[in-house]
Amino acid sequence: MKLDKQKLTLWERYLTHEIGIEFKACLYFFAILFFYCVYRMINGVFNADMIHMAEMILACYIIGYIQVFLFNNFDEADKLGGREYAGIAVCTCLYGLVSFFGNWFDRSIFVSLILAAYILFTYFCVFLIYRSKRRIDDKKLNEELKLFQTEHKKSE
Amino acid sequence: MRIDIQKTDTGEESIVIRYHEPNPLVDRIAGILRNEGNVIWGRLDDVSVAVKTDDILYLESVEDKVFAYTLDKVVRLDGSLNTFMQSCDETFFRCSKSMVINVNRVTALKSLSSNRIDACMEGGEHILISRRYASEFRRMLKGER
Repeated sequence: MKLDKQKLTLWERYLTHEIGIEFKACLYFFAILFFYCVYRMINGVFNADMIHMAEMILACYIIGYIQVFLFNNFDEADKLGGREYAGIAVCTCLYGLVSFFGNWFDRSIFVSLILAAYILFTYFCVFLIYRSKRRIDDKKLNEELKLFQTEHKKSE
Repeated sequence: MRIDIQKTDTGEESIVIRYHEPNPLVDRIAGILRNEGNVIWGRLDDVSVAVKTDDILYLESVEDKVFAYTLDKVVRLDGSLNTFMQSCDETFFRCSKSMVINVNRVTALKSLSSNRIDACMEGGEHILISRRYASEFRRMLKGER
């Protein structure tokens, strides 16, 4: 009975995925926006185009869906395998293409390629961050496990 | 088998078992009377055997049959995982639809992506605690359950 109450509804499952993807979209949007702002400042422009920003957030959101549903959510994966590497390659290419055709960097193939390299680096960093987070969680879990086992053996 | 229950006002309370040949039922009754701790009964190669619940590493339900795994044997139990969960102590945890683990026999835990947990048992088996049950498991370890 208790488990039935705990069972996630379809809505809650959808919401869990949606929040994860929106969080991801925000993360990559800010990473790309930083790159975009640096590019603009280097070129002596000190404002950002709102259309470009809208395109960026939309691209991050759609690519977030692709990342989660087609490529095993590779940046949060336990380890990187073939499908994850394919995902990294496809999503990086998509960002490069959108940046080129969206005219974010004055249609410069060179800057779009640098953006692709930057995205690759970001993916790798995010993967390492999630892995470190899980390692810290491992320690916490095992400490709690030992405490639980000690307490239980005492009460026997 | 005939059962006689008699009230006595004097002397020590006692139970006498009479049998022609040793058999699983007699062993089972004797086991309960000897108070051999928390013991559950199951079948191993069509022979009724007793398993101490502390010795169980995990239980698995396969096609409506429940199996208890210890370090050296696999015993088929009567009933379902739900029935077992109603009678077992708090060291047993339902970690997925078809599995129950004995937390006291877990050697290490590993946090996985999507909030899942990998439990390494004493026998070296790895059992996955699904996302649905992982939050409850964390609460259990913290003593919040």
